[in-house]
Amino acid sequence: MKRSTAFLLAMGAIVGSLGAAVLVWLGLASPLGSATAVVAGGVLGALFAWLTKARANTPGAGLLWALAFALVLWLASSLGAKTTTEMLAAARLHFPQLVGYLLVFGAPLGLVLGLVSRREKGAAPFSLSRALVAGGLAGIVGGWAFGQWMEKAHFFPLIAGLVGSSSPGLGKTLHFVFALIIGATFGLLFQRDVRGYGSSAGWGLAYGIFWWFLGPLTLLPLLQHHLPDWSLAHGRELFGSLMGHIIYGLLVGVIYAALDRLWVGFFIESDPINRHPHGPGSRTLRSLGWGALAGLIGGLVFWPQIVAVDGLHWIARLAGGESSTLGVVVHLFISVVLGAGYGFLFERESPDAGAAVGWGMLYGISWWFVGTLTLFPTWLGASFTWTNEAAAGALSSLLGHLLYGAITATVYLLLERRHQDWLRLDPRFAAHEARLERPVGTPAPALWFFALGLGVILPILLS
Amino acid sequence: MLRRAVPGFFCGSLAGLLLGDGLSSLSLGAAIGAVLGTLYGLALPRPLGGPGAVADRALTAATLGLPLWGAVNVILLPLLSGRAPQWSAEGMRALFPALAGWLLFGFSLGLLVTGVVRVVEYFLGVAAALPNEKLPAVKTRVVILGGGFAGVTTALELEKQLRDDPTVSLTLVSETNALLFTPMLAEVAASSLEPTHISTPLRSSLPRTRVVRAKVSAVDLDARQVHTPDRAETIPYDHLVLALGAVSKLPPGAGIAEHALEFKTLADAIRIRNRVIDAFDRADAEEDGQRRRALLTFVVAGGGFSGAELAGGLNDFTRGMLADYPNLSADELRIMLVHSRAGILPELSESLGKYALERMQARGVTFVLNARVAAARDGVVVITKKGKEQEKEEEIAAETLVWTAGVAPSPVMQELALPRDKRGAVTVENTLAVAGQPGLWALGDCAVVPDAKTGKPCPPTAQFALRQARTVARNICASIAGEPLRPFHFDSLGTLCVVGHHTACAEIKGLKFSGFFAWLLWRGIYLSKLPGLERKVRVLVDWVIELFFPRDIVQTIDFEPQREEAKS
Repeated sequence: MKRSTAFLLAMGAIVGSLGAAVLVWLGLASPLGSATAVVAGGVLGALFAWLTKARANTPGAGLLWALAFALVLWLASSLGAKTTTEMLAAARLHFPQLVGYLLVFGAPLGLVLGLVSRREKGAAPFSLSRALVAGGLAGIVGGWAFGQWMEKAHFFPLIAGLVGSSSPGLGKTLHFVFALIIGATFGLLFQRDVRGYGSSAGWGLAYGIFWWFLGPLTLLPLLQHHLPDWSLAHGRELFGSLMGHIIYGLLVGVIYAALDRLWVGFFIESDPINRHPHGPGSRTLRSLGWGALAGLIGGLVFWPQIVAVDGLHWIARLAGGESSTLGVVVHLFISVVLGAGYGFLFERESPDAGAAVGWGMLYGISWWFVGTLTLFPTWLGASFTWTNEAAAGALSSLLGHLLYGAITATVYLLLERRHQDWLRLDPRFAAHEARLERPVGTPAPALWFFALGLGVILPILLS
Repeated sequence: MLRRAVPGFFCGSLAGLLLGDGLSSLSLGAAIGAVLGTLYGLALPRPLGGPGAVADRALTAATLGLPLWGAVNVILLPLLSGRAPQWSAEGMRALFPALAGWLLFGFSLGLLVTGVVRVVEYFLGVAAALPNEKLPAVKTRVVILGGGFAGVTTALELEKQLRDDPTVSLTLVSETNALLFTPMLAEVAASSLEPTHISTPLRSSLPRTRVVRAKVSAVDLDARQVHTPDRAETIPYDHLVLALGAVSKLPPGAGIAEHALEFKTLADAIRIRNRVIDAFDRADAEEDGQRRRALLTFVVAGGGFSGAELAGGLNDFTRGMLADYPNLSADELRIMLVHSRAGILPELSESLGKYALERMQARGVTFVLNARVAAARDGVVVITKKGKEQEKEEEIAAETLVWTAGVAPSPVMQELALPRDKRGAVTVENTLAVAGQPGLWALGDCAVVPDAKTGKPCPPTAQFALRQARTVARNICASIAGEPLRPFHFDSLGTLCVVGHHTACAEIKGLKFSGFFAWLLWRGIYLSKLPGLERKVRVLVDWVIELFFPRDIVQTIDFEPQREEAKS
């Protein structure tokens, strides 16, 4: 049974008002007066409930929609400054508001509305054991990767401080427990929305960013009996932790999808009754080919930007040389490989060009975090440095990564469409094709906006 | 359109004010917003969807603000003002207000346009949903007869070229429901590959084509219809492709047709494998030495590709089987290849044919050259050998005779009032069209196709059939479009033949290879040619399994009831 609209509006208004009240109490609702802020919170909460009544139908979906709307709210509150400098300064000054809007206003609103909403008939079934096992295992692997930085940054004794110890071993154990819990909650929250590896990595990226706000910025000080410090300065100090959370999230997403697909493939799709006419083998091979071609075109578009920032010599060093020609070859090779990766990871995720650009940019920014800031320095013999300075130095290639992703995804969509069009002549194949595509109504738009918005804004603000 | 464009224009202008800071001009922001808003309004789907769709569009449009910010503010505007793009950290920080402006512009645009259009439609009525695009009627019917290399490749090529053109329908009529990859057929008979692994189902390979499993009984060229005995329907056509291939040609009389096994289809290969296993089991129980020797003698008639590959494969299979039959000795086992010429494999150069013969002999194959199978009866194969002056007849005690010594075009071709050569194959022009019969095409083993450059008829091999299929598909499309037809020309790439374990001969573009390298070439090239990734994987797995385990000797056809039936 679906909840009535009035009930959802009332819930939205109540949770929105309460969130606003807490923001007022924390001193983050200026320049509004207390009463006005609480009323505004109620109105915005009700408006959000109305807009997302057919979308926020699980806690995970509700959380993402609400986080995205909270980010819009924060951006709107940062406008109004007279000059550019003023506005950047205002945005930096309002960094605590950003944390507050996300954690105090957005997250509770989305989670509550997602919990009280009833999912519609025909929604994908939910498997608790699959969510916990796949999510937990993914969390542990992601935690191992994040642990590399934590060890380097001497973060484990800080974690051990939660239980009154300074032992790095105990800190590491606690870290893995948290990683396991966060991974399992990832499965619980997003199992219904996750389809392919790429979209799952996107969900992981967004969840990783969310946990950066919730974990080191908020829960860690609270568990250590301190008041959370949501200032920009503290955020800057924790930039390495943000990177760790992002890498952790991406890994959790990909591994969760791999385990989830394995589970689905082994227990569900291997049943001949559920089997598709074509096995995944030939489909995947085709996607890899299309992705490689799309990646090549994306790489050609990205090329002038790399030349402009004199990045070819740096890329050539990946192959042990210095020349621009070698740099071009390596760049195009990487573009093709990553393009093939896009085809493999984002097969059938984009129903239209808007969605393709969204997924493509998410893919591009993921490689900026994983490639430019993490793998490339490691490949070149240096240790990865997740610092503000390193991020500032690499910002020049961020836009190129976004454009590469957008172009690659758009070309891939065209190739995928070209193949699908003629299959649609036959109703049986048309129905089968439709089943493989991502349906309308998932929180993908919220995911793109939240993950991409903060993926670009945070490095600009914090670096 | 106005119900979408007008709200789009006004909402876009309003939302465009948010771009004012980034573009340093409110009016420019409003103008860009108006243009983008109008386009956005026009691009909205019909029907519009509920409030959830408003949320979807608001956040999707907000996300699209990001690349617009990059393209306009970071790259385009600096370039227009003669400066370098602002993608450094400092530049991007300076453009942060523009970024916020574009993100909020996108959000407002999605929210406002979708919301206002909903309100407008509430008062003025919902814009009519775009009519369901009705597929135009079929104007051209292409029917392909034959499910072999030529027919299936023609259908695949037509699918590729016609893609989503609903005015052309494709129908393929085939006696079998799968495309048999004949180069690997000998490996099935020799129990090296699973039978179904070398056959690709037509229905899953040809999604755009209607596959009709039926035998063709007649073609009415005047009424332009195909008749099948198994179905009530007749199949009308505008273009008909004759790709019916060839059948084994067993000489009538002399008992050969009654006693010989054919080697053309998958069923033939399965039957041969089972006959071999059956003969071993019977020989194992036979106490009479002569009778046992007859059971263990396998005669292959014909020393071309099929015969040599089959004899080589059977030799490996049967000699491997001896390990499981301790009562039987290698001396009693004979794989005998009868060929009418002095050397085998006439398709290859003489030196390679000689190499193949020597290697096969060394591995245990017996050759009877300059001879042909003249007759057969129970337990006996009669051969005639060419003598200096007269032919000499000889009887070989053998329970198994396999015929690979000749093929003839499909019998359906004989019924058609079309020009044919002495074999019975239809003669066509170098465009593969049958002269004087518009819309009629023929290719493959059932046609005589003159090469456009040499004028000589093309050999009836799969290699040529595949290329002819591509040309015929192209020419059918050209014919439908009223464009000129393309003549067929193809230079043979070469030939490959495997004659035993790790032993093959290859002649590629004049280069000769033999032995292990040629065997690797054979496996690599034919694996790549095998249609479908799934089949490739299955065959590869079969080959890997064979490295570690002996070939399977499970009998799947019991010949005992057939023998009883024959006796009664």
